[in-house]
Amino acid sequence: MNKIKKMVGKDLDLSILVGLALLVLVTVAGAFGGSMYSGRNIQSMAFQIPEFGFLALAMMLSNMVGGIDLSIIANANTVAIFTAYVLNGTWAFGTEGIARVILALIVAAVTSLIFGAFNGLIIAKTSAPSLIATLGTMTLIQGIGMALTGGSSIGDIDPLFAEFGKSVVLGLPLIFWLFLLVSLILGLILSLTGFGRKLYLYGGNPVAARFSAVNNEKMSILVFMATGFLAGMAGLIILSRVNSAKVGYGDSYLLQTMIVCVIGGISPNGGKGKVQGVVIAIIMMQVMSSAFTIMSLSPYTKKLIWGIMLVLVLGLNHVIAAYSQKRTLKQSMKNLQSAQ
Amino acid sequence: MTKKIDQFQKMLLIIIVIYSVFVSVKNPQFLQVQTVFDIVKTSSTTMIVAIGLLVVMISGGIDVSFMAIALFGSYTSLLVMINTGINSLVFAFALSMLIGTCLGLVNALLINWLKLPPFIITLGTQNLFHGIMTTFISDKSFGSGVLPSCLHEFGQGTLFKVATENGSAGLTVSLIPVLLAGIATYFVLRKTMIGRGIVAIGNDEESARRAGFNPFKIRLFVYAYSGALAGMMGIIYAAQVNALYPNKMVGDELMVVAAVVIGGTKITGGQGKIFGAVLGVLIIYLLNSTLILIGLSSSWNNLFVGAILVIAVAVTSYQERVKNRSHLIFTE
Amino acid sequence: MEPILCARNISKSFIGVRALNNIDITINAGEIHCLAGENGCGKSTLVKCISGVYTPDHGEVEISGEKYKNLTPIEAMNKGIQVIYQDLSLFQHMTVAENIAISKLKFEGNKTINWKKIKSIAKEQLNKIGVKMNLDETVGEISMANRQMVAICRALAQDAKILFMDEPTTALTKTEVDHLMKIMLELKKKGLAIVFISHKLDEVFTVADTITIFRNGDKIGDFNSKDLDEKSLSYHMTGREIEYPRYHRTCKDNSPILEIDHLTRKGQYEDISMTIRPGDIIGLTGLLGSGRTELAMSLFGLNPTQSGSIRINGKETSIASPMAAKKQGIALLPEDRFNQGLFIERKIKENISSALIDTICKKGLIRKAEEDTIAQKYVNELKVRTPSIETVVGTLSGGNQQKVVIGKWTATAPKVFIMDTPTVGIDIGSKSEIYEQIHKFADGGMAIIFISDEIQEIMANCNRVIVLANGKCIREFDENELGQDGADKIITDLIGSQSAEEVTP
Repeated sequence: MNKIKKMVGKDLDLSILVGLALLVLVTVAGAFGGSMYSGRNIQSMAFQIPEFGFLALAMMLSNMVGGIDLSIIANANTVAIFTAYVLNGTWAFGTEGIARVILALIVAAVTSLIFGAFNGLIIAKTSAPSLIATLGTMTLIQGIGMALTGGSSIGDIDPLFAEFGKSVVLGLPLIFWLFLLVSLILGLILSLTGFGRKLYLYGGNPVAARFSAVNNEKMSILVFMATGFLAGMAGLIILSRVNSAKVGYGDSYLLQTMIVCVIGGISPNGGKGKVQGVVIAIIMMQVMSSAFTIMSLSPYTKKLIWGIMLVLVLGLNHVIAAYSQKRTLKQSMKNLQSAQ
Repeated sequence: MTKKIDQFQKMLLIIIVIYSVFVSVKNPQFLQVQTVFDIVKTSSTTMIVAIGLLVVMISGGIDVSFMAIALFGSYTSLLVMINTGINSLVFAFALSMLIGTCLGLVNALLINWLKLPPFIITLGTQNLFHGIMTTFISDKSFGSGVLPSCLHEFGQGTLFKVATENGSAGLTVSLIPVLLAGIATYFVLRKTMIGRGIVAIGNDEESARRAGFNPFKIRLFVYAYSGALAGMMGIIYAAQVNALYPNKMVGDELMVVAAVVIGGTKITGGQGKIFGAVLGVLIIYLLNSTLILIGLSSSWNNLFVGAILVIAVAVTSYQERVKNRSHLIFTE
Repeated sequence: MEPILCARNISKSFIGVRALNNIDITINAGEIHCLAGENGCGKSTLVKCISGVYTPDHGEVEISGEKYKNLTPIEAMNKGIQVIYQDLSLFQHMTVAENIAISKLKFEGNKTINWKKIKSIAKEQLNKIGVKMNLDETVGEISMANRQMVAICRALAQDAKILFMDEPTTALTKTEVDHLMKIMLELKKKGLAIVFISHKLDEVFTVADTITIFRNGDKIGDFNSKDLDEKSLSYHMTGREIEYPRYHRTCKDNSPILEIDHLTRKGQYEDISMTIRPGDIIGLTGLLGSGRTELAMSLFGLNPTQSGSIRINGKETSIASPMAAKKQGIALLPEDRFNQGLFIERKIKENISSALIDTICKKGLIRKAEEDTIAQKYVNELKVRTPSIETVVGTLSGGNQQKVVIGKWTATAPKVFIMDTPTVGIDIGSKSEIYEQIHKFADGGMAIIFISDEIQEIMANCNRVIVLANGKCIREFDENELGQDGADKIITDLIGSQSAEEVTP
């Protein structure tokens, strides 16, 4: 018991999150019984998690440096459109079969990195707040997709690529494994590498980072490139699942990615949070989403619930923060007394 | 707020003029009174909410819930009118603006309580408001036949008509509320203590508090004001399209943010001009309605708006950064 | 004289520090009352408690007979309390006129704004103190000294009963200070109570009737200014009979480590030259805005120079970024510890390793054991008082936080360490420990540029002193000159000698 208490004390946010996740899982199980956790439903949830999950990881990275990236969804869709053009032969440059798929992957990686780097460059070189900088690039990237497609969806892609979104390995979809793998790598990078440490420092106080000889410009460009890359991955997964790409797919994800980050313990002011928190929040979100589908709620009602959730979670965070502030003050007075 | 017009707005004006000349050379149709009047009409609603957003941004905040507020206000008040048979424009505006004010107050209370970036909070309330309306009030659509007739008359009303080759073109009545909103906002920002308080908390909230302003009260006013303007805009919008849908307007708020930012408003607060916001809206609508005239489809719209926004953001932020750095102020 | 403000048993604690300890103070009408004490003794905190910015943990404030436990700034202002804060609290994007007049109009309960009235109020106040300024310029555009004038005018515009001035002279020249003193005496004649905070002793004696001395959050006592002389005042402030131990350079190596030649950045500093050897502690002093911080930032790669050259170990280099500065062995302890020096929410060890991340990484991975070793080493060496290196820096006191920032840069083994006002907001115990460390660094061959305007501190720690005024070097003192009697007086006068017409055009 004491051990648990100690763990809870050490990472209050994560403990609350795990508790909350368990609560949601149990409630949903109680309400819907077996149908919720049947093999089929679990698999279908695992198919839906990755596209949203990658967008949430992208949002997480931008939040961790105290910013926000509004362009991730536009980025995902436009990358998907580019890739679709390669895969349906329009931009295939004479490649066929597996070569074409590889070309498509390269195109996807390069475009998503360019979009990300563009965000990073504007933010690093002009000190523009990321909110409006990415509002601009969001419109611009969406505009590129719109200008190319005229708003229609681009399909007829190479069936080889569509396989990727459908294949199942060890009972779970390949794309779900991919999502777990990327989350794991990202988590390790953040907690173990010098880059990760600089990211936390830069996110927590960019001015002090600059005064500590951290290369802020490089950090901002790298972080937004990584954000762009993750968004591009989401785009690929959307393309392989839906078999077509179009501007405006998944617009409602923006709010949900932010909710997931907030629930997952990422501070919108930067410098705080862990990947595992966000992953738990993503899964919890998907379970709720599935429950809403089983209950056949209207999209409006879902909107209402997401809105309430965001406000509630922010409120809860506020209360917790006030509590831990008090705890810190108490602790510091103790330190002061023991020092005297 | 010292000079009527600054360098940045001059640039915007020049861009608008050059672009207009370019369009009219390519396609003389642009010069027709009808085209100009149409642009004024379609942009008028956006201008009203842009002015409301401008006030919020001058105070150092941001609001992305105003479209949901506009929808909530107009939908609810028109629904009341349909159900009770009231046919009064004044009632429509009054009720809608009242609802808008209340929802704005909710925003302000949440922002003050949670002390978090207003963008996240108002994104939450945007969904909250829209969800509450569609879940608890109604989510039915209403066509032109059911709406009160006063609304239609207002939507089609013109100030004056000009005879043209293909009939006559009229300047929309909707321009009057825009002018009213603009003048009222100018008066508030420039001539009232609360207006100076808005500018003051946008400059530096702590200093404003020390100067005797109450940031909480000012914030209540700011978001309520923005909400009231949104409520007003909702009615005008419904009058212009002469129909009522539970899913219109919401989703366009970022475009308005873009317009206000293009107009030179500082996102960190303390600075911004009504004229700039109006010019920003004008540029977006100008592009919107003239791309077809120069032979491009409207799908190119976002590309151009995005490019202008990126450039405007980059230029203003870079100037600010150079100025800050020379004063040894580091913001990041 | 009748008391118009009494504060009783005021205590206030912040994370890591007890800033005020059961303070009682009485302020009388028609009196100039000085709060004296070294940096970080609690003077400013007391003012903020009385003016309603902070709510004290214990105690109450009584103004004109009414008692308050939770005074708000607005209540305080309504009771006639006016404060000129150290950070001035001006509005950057608003005009000079509006900055001066807005509080007065707000205070009088005006609902609308009359711009003509704003201008006339501003003009009247500026005339009162005899300064000319362009009323339509925004405050962001004017000089530091002029901003201080605007803040003073704003406070004067309101018919205050008690006027608090928190270090109002840091950016003012001698002439301007004299002028301000004259105004203060006039206001006093009109029955105003003025509470004046300063760490500059000569100013304290010129005008004060009563002097209250603080040390480390405690009140030492109220004194009649006639009963004190500079020596006894200084004794009460520091709690020591003698001054700090004086630094003497012992380093044998005389080859210059850093040479600056005609370094210029227009509008900030001009034509600065100096040569620094290992073991030098060069005092760089001058008013706020005299170019001292501007020069420091340039040497650290944060403020590009326009002309002139920098040589390190005889080799000409340019320092374009803090990364380049670190590579060249230059470190900067910034003026603004909270925003520029610390990662407040992170652990001590993460703060100490923050400038060393690439060094403690192997193949991109942080070697945690090495990080701990380094952190522990500097925590021990600098005597940071903390339960462990895992403690979050924000829970430490100001002095210990500053030691962490010093540790961060010492860990990079710099050749030149620039310290910009290293002891502001630090308790006295930590202060002397920091001095001790600085001497140790210099004995080990490090060169130190020590920026400060506290004269005792400069005299104790520096073996050479450069005085800046208006961005120009007006005098350099070597070890011999510093050793002579009265050198401190000469330096104090020089600091304030900045020609007035250049500051107020």
